[in-house]
Amino acid sequence: MKKILVADDEMSIRLLYSEELKEEGYEVYLAANGKEALEIVGKVPLDLVILDIKMPEMDGIEALRQIKEKQPDLPVLLSTAYGEYRQDFATWASDEYLVKSSDLEDLKSAVKRYLKE
Amino acid sequence: MATERIAFLTQMVEVFTSTVSFGERLNNLVHLLARYLKVDLALYFGLDKAKETLVLNLSSQGPVPPHLRVEFPLGQGLVGEVAKTRKMKTVQRSQPGVLAANRSLEKLHPAFATLAGFPVADDNFFYGVLILVDRQERHFTPAERQNVQLASLLLAGTLRQALLQEEAKKRIAELSVLFEVGKALSSTVELDVLLERVVTTTAKVITARGAALQIIDGVTKEVRVSSQYGEIPMSCPSPAVILATPTAAGELPYLQGQEINAAGRTHFFLAVPLAFKGQLQGTICVYDKFAPNGEYLPFDPENRQLLYTMAGLIVNAIENALTFKQVETLAEKNERMVRNLTVLQVLSRALLTTVQEERLLEIILQGLTLDQGLGFDRAVVLLVDEATQTLKGVKGAQRSPKLRGRPLFEALVAPLAEEVPVQDWQIPLRPDQGALALTVLQKRPYHVLSSSPESIRSPALPPQFAAPEFFVAPLVVKDRATGVIMVDNRASGRPLEEEPLHVLQMFSTQAGLVVENAHLYSTIEANNRELLLIRERMLESDRLAALSSLASGMAHEIRNPLVSIGGFARRIAKLVEETSPLRGYVEVIQEEVTRLEKLLREILDFTGENLSFYGDHDLNKLLEDTLLLVQRDLEACKITVVKELPPLPRLHCDDRQIKQVFYNLFQNACQAMHQGGTLTIRSYPLEKEDGLYEAVAITDTGGGIPLEVLHNIFNPFFSTKDYGTGLGLAIAQRIVSRHYGQMEVNNELGKGVTFIVSLPVAKYCLVKEPGHGAALASTLKAPKGGER
Repeated sequence: MKKILVADDEMSIRLLYSEELKEEGYEVYLAANGKEALEIVGKVPLDLVILDIKMPEMDGIEALRQIKEKQPDLPVLLSTAYGEYRQDFATWASDEYLVKSSDLEDLKSAVKRYLKE
Repeated sequence: MATERIAFLTQMVEVFTSTVSFGERLNNLVHLLARYLKVDLALYFGLDKAKETLVLNLSSQGPVPPHLRVEFPLGQGLVGEVAKTRKMKTVQRSQPGVLAANRSLEKLHPAFATLAGFPVADDNFFYGVLILVDRQERHFTPAERQNVQLASLLLAGTLRQALLQEEAKKRIAELSVLFEVGKALSSTVELDVLLERVVTTTAKVITARGAALQIIDGVTKEVRVSSQYGEIPMSCPSPAVILATPTAAGELPYLQGQEINAAGRTHFFLAVPLAFKGQLQGTICVYDKFAPNGEYLPFDPENRQLLYTMAGLIVNAIENALTFKQVETLAEKNERMVRNLTVLQVLSRALLTTVQEERLLEIILQGLTLDQGLGFDRAVVLLVDEATQTLKGVKGAQRSPKLRGRPLFEALVAPLAEEVPVQDWQIPLRPDQGALALTVLQKRPYHVLSSSPESIRSPALPPQFAAPEFFVAPLVVKDRATGVIMVDNRASGRPLEEEPLHVLQMFSTQAGLVVENAHLYSTIEANNRELLLIRERMLESDRLAALSSLASGMAHEIRNPLVSIGGFARRIAKLVEETSPLRGYVEVIQEEVTRLEKLLREILDFTGENLSFYGDHDLNKLLEDTLLLVQRDLEACKITVVKELPPLPRLHCDDRQIKQVFYNLFQNACQAMHQGGTLTIRSYPLEKEDGLYEAVAITDTGGGIPLEVLHNIFNPFFSTKDYGTGLGLAIAQRIVSRHYGQMEVNNELGKGVTFIVSLPVAKYCLVKEPGHGAALASTLKAPKGGER
């Protein structure tokens, strides 16, 4: 079973994403900020990471940088309410930039693509 | 005997007192004497003016023919001896030496035996000698001698009377001459007329064939004025030459002489100096006194005397006239100066009426070319272009009858009567470019004449401006020549007068300042306008930035909960059975969330989530990139794409925003052609009035926009579709106008629509760097055509 980490400070989003992804048959880990996400990345052999950008303690961009430093081959998707970070150099390291939407089809198809299913 | 003597004396007195002419009286006296003394001949020899020769004047036998006019020099013969000794003497032919000494008398009386000589004189004057001739040896009694002496006295008296009368006649003639001269001289103060009258009258009075007069400046020795009358065979000697000629003591200076001309004729002249009080000297000269028979005669001392007298009168008259002329000239000069200063003053006043450079130049040129102004035929203003170091023609005008007669001020501020095109003049500011360039380089005026060297006569002048004479004055401001004013009188060929040029020089300083001020003013005005524009843009962009940050802040806050609501609604929908009434409710939640999300996205786009990412971009590349984004939609609708994208220079723009414009337009085209069609995309350079643009024309074959909605298509929130916010074209237009571009629609009803987006190649642009607010673009490029 593929292991996916979802990092978002919004509890409702975490819940929504984990429900949806579990339903798709993934094992889902959850983090409330960048720091927690990095801890999990260090412990669990993950297949994919979904990061929110705006988070307390450590934001998604910093977490992305550190993850890519340690595990450049681990796919990281950015899922954010902000469209404008798409222009940010720092986000270019991510594999996909997704603007959050209630329709999770885009997200799920991106996940599938990166997990080569 | 006594009665005879008394009768003789009576007759003598009768003759003496008779009123017959002097010549007849003298003849009668000589005749009476001969008869009374019973001698063969009585002769009278008169002493000539030179007092050297005695000439036979009268004979008792009647008039003396010329060949018998016997002469005796003083001291020779009996005649000469008596004249010298002033004593009577009688000689006989038989006496030794008598015949030899008096042989010439044989012509009159071949057989004379006795000769008796008596001096003819009165108390203080000797006139001549009376000679009595007889064929016999005669001795005169004392009574006879007394009678002869008495006759001599009467003869002397008559001669004296004749002389006096002649003298009186001459004096009267001279006086009338002087009166004529005086009349002529006092009749006018016009110098030219006066001089003409002087020479005419002088020649007539002296009976000369010609007369000349010249007055020279005592200092410069140049001839100031001259006048002549009649035939002038040789030049008039200068006063210096006359004064240097030696004359006898007590005599006034004069120069008299003769010259033989080429034809062999002898000409005579007499010149006397004219002495003025001031620094003037002059000469009056007469030529060739003519005798009644046509001969030319030398001038005599009397002529000289007369000429002197006249010279005195002439000097006074000429001096008066000269003074008058001087006063008149001064008055005229003053009048002209006052007129010119008035022109200058009115011109200054007119220049105060405007600060527009164009109008000021017109007023200046009007002032230079109006008849009631300085009256030049043509005037041109050229200004220095600092950037290219050239002198450029700005405006020119020529004299025109249009505004003639209007008051000066009114005429000055009227529109330019006749303009001369000078805009293509360009003269490099180098010393080899002639007078115009030199005027700027040396900051001094140039008065160019036909005699000036060709290198000065401006090789840079266009042929239609190559006047034989022209004047160039510099416009100097703060020790810097900003341009030149050039004037000429080519059309009329008049020479350039001194005073208007003087006024032009005075005026050029003011003109320079005025033009410079106007120039500064217009620069300030332009800068002001520019600043105002920028401020407006900045305010707008600030407002936009504030609005967008508020909107995006709100939107983001809303987005997260919307995602949760929508997401969970979807999850619920999956769990709710198809038949359950809850199903419909959940679907409403889902749809509404979707709608809200879309609205959110469009609002974020409209407020400009990110205002600008300006850079130099290839418009064609942006089109291609955008096409990729809509490729799937185009394929889905079976739309053929036709591209005409020739290489174009890079354009300064925000690539994201421009892509958004194209994206929106492509989307519209797709929607218009959802059942297939052709999308034609053309890009091309475009020159508009205000500069260079790059344009993109996007044409669809979707049937065009219905007329009733055409006017609304750019309004925000207007939409003909069931979906969307209606913001597509509004956003596109907003972006284009933010780029100072234009967006046009060509609607062909039944066929399709062409949207043309044109973007300026370089203009003032606002750049908002993320996080730094609005700032001016680093490259502030001036629009084309703005040289100042």
